[in-house]
Amino acid sequence: MGLCSSWDGTISYSEFFDAARALSEKWKLSNSACPPWTWICCKKSFWVSSHEEQGYLSLENFYCCSISKEGPYHDQSQSFGEEPVDDAALDDPCAPEVHQYDFHIVYSASYRVPVLYFRGYHCDGQPLTVDDIEKGLPANALKTLKESKWTFMTREEHPYLNRPWYTLHACGTSEWMKLMFSDSSSTQHGAVVEQYLVSWLSVVGQVVGLQVPLEMLKSSNLKPPFSSD
Amino acid sequence: MAEEEERKLQFAPFHSLADEGFWRRLCSLKLDTLGIDQSPIPITGFYAPCSHAQVSNHLTLLSESLPPECHEQSSLASTVIRGNRNRCPVPGILYNTNTSESFRTLDKQSLLKAEAKKIWDDIQSGKAEEESAVLSRFLLISFADLKKWTFHYWFAFPALVLDPPATLTDLRPASQCFSLEEAESLKAACNEWRSSTPTSDVPFFLVCIASNSHATISFLRDWEDCQSAYQKVLFGFYDPCHLPNHPGWPLRNFLALISSRWKVEKISFLCYREERGFPNLDISLVGEALVSVSQAWDDPQFIPKAVGWELNKGKKASRCITLANSMDPTRLAISAADLNLKLMRWRALPSLNLNVLFNTKCLLLGAGTLGCQVARVLMAWGVRKITLIDSGRVAMSNPLRQSLYTFSDCLNGGDFKAVAAVKSLKQIFPVVEAEGIVMAIPMPGHPIPSQIEDSVVKDCRRLRELISSHDVVFLLTDTRESRWLPTLLSANSNKITITAALGFDSYVVMRHGAGPLCTSPDSTTEAGDALSTRIHNGGNRLGCYFCNDVVAPVDSTANRTLDQQCTVTRPGLAPIASALAVELLVGVLHHSAGIDAPGEIASSSYSGNNEQPLGVLPHQIRGSLSQFSQMTLLGHASNSCTACCATVVSEYRKRGVDFILQAINHPTYLEDLTGLTELMKSANSFELDWDNETNDEDETFVDI
Repeated sequence: MGLCSSWDGTISYSEFFDAARALSEKWKLSNSACPPWTWICCKKSFWVSSHEEQGYLSLENFYCCSISKEGPYHDQSQSFGEEPVDDAALDDPCAPEVHQYDFHIVYSASYRVPVLYFRGYHCDGQPLTVDDIEKGLPANALKTLKESKWTFMTREEHPYLNRPWYTLHACGTSEWMKLMFSDSSSTQHGAVVEQYLVSWLSVVGQVVGLQVPLEMLKSSNLKPPFSSD
Repeated sequence: MAEEEERKLQFAPFHSLADEGFWRRLCSLKLDTLGIDQSPIPITGFYAPCSHAQVSNHLTLLSESLPPECHEQSSLASTVIRGNRNRCPVPGILYNTNTSESFRTLDKQSLLKAEAKKIWDDIQSGKAEEESAVLSRFLLISFADLKKWTFHYWFAFPALVLDPPATLTDLRPASQCFSLEEAESLKAACNEWRSSTPTSDVPFFLVCIASNSHATISFLRDWEDCQSAYQKVLFGFYDPCHLPNHPGWPLRNFLALISSRWKVEKISFLCYREERGFPNLDISLVGEALVSVSQAWDDPQFIPKAVGWELNKGKKASRCITLANSMDPTRLAISAADLNLKLMRWRALPSLNLNVLFNTKCLLLGAGTLGCQVARVLMAWGVRKITLIDSGRVAMSNPLRQSLYTFSDCLNGGDFKAVAAVKSLKQIFPVVEAEGIVMAIPMPGHPIPSQIEDSVVKDCRRLRELISSHDVVFLLTDTRESRWLPTLLSANSNKITITAALGFDSYVVMRHGAGPLCTSPDSTTEAGDALSTRIHNGGNRLGCYFCNDVVAPVDSTANRTLDQQCTVTRPGLAPIASALAVELLVGVLHHSAGIDAPGEIASSSYSGNNEQPLGVLPHQIRGSLSQFSQMTLLGHASNSCTACCATVVSEYRKRGVDFILQAINHPTYLEDLTGLTELMKSANSFELDWDNETNDEDETFVDI
C-alpha cells in the first residue's frame, strides 16, 4: 500500500481482522493479568464479502471494584413459610461491590475505523448507569472523557447484539489515528496495520479505564523499507 | 501433617447473575409466544470454575438460557445444552408469574422441595453419575413487569441437607497436598479436561492419583473402576467460589451423592479453581470431610430436607432489576435526542446551551404552515415546552402544506388544529410538553358585536396570561391585524417575539425589540430588576412588525381582490421562513443580551466570530424565492408605532381591556393616539403624492 503520508487514518475490514489478531496476541503476552481479547464470529451481513469472517473482539468479565456502597436494588422481604435452619451455609459478608465490564471492539463500515462498545453491570446483572460508570473511572480518565475533543461517550444500538451499549463516537478516530502514525519511523502500511489496534486502544482505553501496558506500544516487527533479510 | 480439628463444614453460597439479555429474551418470549401462560419454563444456567482470586464466579443466565422460540413445547428433559469451558450448562426451571401478587404468593417451599426431589431422584437413579451437572439444578421465580421494565426475581440453589451435618477435618491449598510430580501431572490432566470439548463443561469428576504420581481425571460413572484401581481418589468439582477457607455450594449435593450412592464416609475433595484460564493449585483447595448420614437415608421413600433460597444482602428477600433505561422506548427516544444535541455541541458548537433550550417556553400563535414547521424545528433544537393557539380546523388541503397534519385529521369536518397539532407533536416525541388552545385572536378593524364582547374580553385576558407565562412568542398567523394585539402584549411583558410573514414568493422573519417601558408589569419576572435601571427609548430599541407602518392595522380580509383572498404562497416558502424563525430565536437565546441584543447585518466579509459561534444575529431577514436571495435589515422602533410605542403600551397599562376594545372597534383611535394622524396631516400639507392606502405590494404581507 502507499506511504503513510497519504494515508487517511482508516483501515479496511480485512486489515481490522489482522490488527485484531495482532492485538489479541500481544495482549496475552504483555497483559495476562487481564482477561484476554477473544474473537467472536457473527452471522454474515450482506455488505461483507463472503470470504471474510465477520466478527468483533471481545473482552468480558473485566472486574472493577466500586467505591460506592450502595449495591443493587433491594426488594422487600417476603413471607417465607418454614425453611429448615441451615447451619451449613456461610454467612456471606457483604462483599465489596464489584462492577463487571464487557468491552467489544467492532469495525464500523461507514467510518472505516474500529469503535469501542462497552457496558457495565453490578454483580447481579443490574446495568450500570452513566453516573456509575463515570464514578468508577480513574480521575484522569474522567477528565479526558469530558474535556477531550476526540472522545465523546454516547449510547447506540450494538451492531450485533440489538441492545443499547455505551460507545465512544467514531467520527474523530481517523483524524487522530493519522496523527498518531504521522511521525512513525515506519512507512510500511503492513506495520501500521499491525500496530493499529494497539495504538488505538492505548488512546480509547484511557478514557474507559482500560490500561494498555507500555511494552505493547513499542513497535515490533517493523522492517525498515530497504533492509535486506 | 494436618491438625485433626473438626469443624462444621460451611459452604459459600452460590451467587446469581441474570444478564440483561436474559430478561429481554424473557420479555419477547412472553409477548410473542407465552402470553398469559404461566407454565414452568425449562432454562439453562451457566457457570465456570472461579477464575479470579478475589471474585467468585456466578451462576449466570443469558439470553441463550431460555429455550429457542421455535420449539412449541420443549420437554423438561431436553433442557441441558452444550456449553464450553467457560459455560458449564446446568438445568433449571423458571416460574414466571403474571402479577406481582401471584409472585408474592408462590409456594416457595414446595417449589424448592420439588426441585430438590428431582436432584435426589437423579442421584438415586444414577442419572447424576451420567450427567453430573444435574447436581447443580436450580430454580428461579420471577415477575416481569412489562410496563415498568422491571423484573422481580428470586433464585434458589437447592441443596440437600446432610443430617447430621458434615464436618471438615482438613482444608488447605491444593499445592500443599501433592508432591511436585503429582501436582504437575494433575495440572496437565486438568488442562486436558478443560480443553477437550466432551469434558470441558463437565463440572464434577474423579481425580485419581496413581502410585507413580500420575494423575487421571475420570467421569463419575467410572467410580467402580477408579475405586478399585487407584489408591488415592479425590472428588473434584468446578468451584465457583474464591474464598480461601470455604468450598463452594456445588459440593453440597456432591457429598450427598457420594455418601448415599457410594457409601463413602471420609471424603477427600478438590475445589477446582483457575486463574487466567489455567489450573491454579494455590487457590484450588483440597479438603477432607466426614459425612455420616442417618439410616433414614436408606429408606427409598425418604427425601432429604432442602435449603437454598438465595439471600439478598443477608436477608430473605427477592431481588429486582430495572431495565427501563435500555428497554423503555420512550426513555430511549429521550436519551437519543439528548445525545444528538450533545454530539452537535461536541463536534461543532461547544457553547451550545442545551439547558436554555430545554427550559424555554414557546407560545406559537397560529398552527398553519408556519406554526407546524416552527414547532417541528423547535423540537429538533431540544425545546420541550410548546403551546399552540389556533381557532381553526384542519381543512382538506392543509396536510399537504402544514406538516403536523395527516389525512385523518381532516375527516368529519376536521379536528381543531391546535388539538391535532399537539397530538402530532406527541407522536413525534412522546415527552414533549405541548398544549393546544382553541381560541381566536381579537383583531383591530373587525368590530366586535356587543353580544360576544364578554367572550372577547375573556380571550384578551387569556392571551395576556399566556404571553406572560411563556418566554418566547411566535407570531405565525395569516393576517396582519391578528398580530397587533399579541405584539402589544409582548411589548408590555417584554417577551422575545419572533414574527414570520409570507407573501407569494417572499418572506420576512424578524425579532421584535424589547418593550418600551422600564419595568415589566408582571412583577413576578426577575427581568424587572434589570430593566428598572435601563430606560428604553425608541431610538435604541429594535422595531416590531408594525414599526414601519404609517397606518393602523385594518381589516385586510374585506375588500381584497381575488388573488389576495386566495392567500397563496409558494410551498417552499413556509418551511424556509419557519426554519429561519427558529434559528433566529436560538441566536437570541445564546446572546448575552437576549431580547436587547442589537441587530447585525450579515456581510460577505464576515469571517466568523469566536464570541458568537452561531454567527450574526440580525433584526430582520427578508428573502425572495424569485431571486433565491436573502438579506438582513435593521430597523429601529418607531415612537409612533401603533403596537409597541411607549404611548400605546402605557395607555394599555392604564386602561387595560377597555383600551383594547376601543382600538379594535375604532381603528383610527390608534392613529390618533400615536400621532400618526397628525403626522399624515402634516405630510399632506406638503402636497406630496401620499398614497393613503395600504400598498399591498410594498408594505403588507398577505400571509398564510
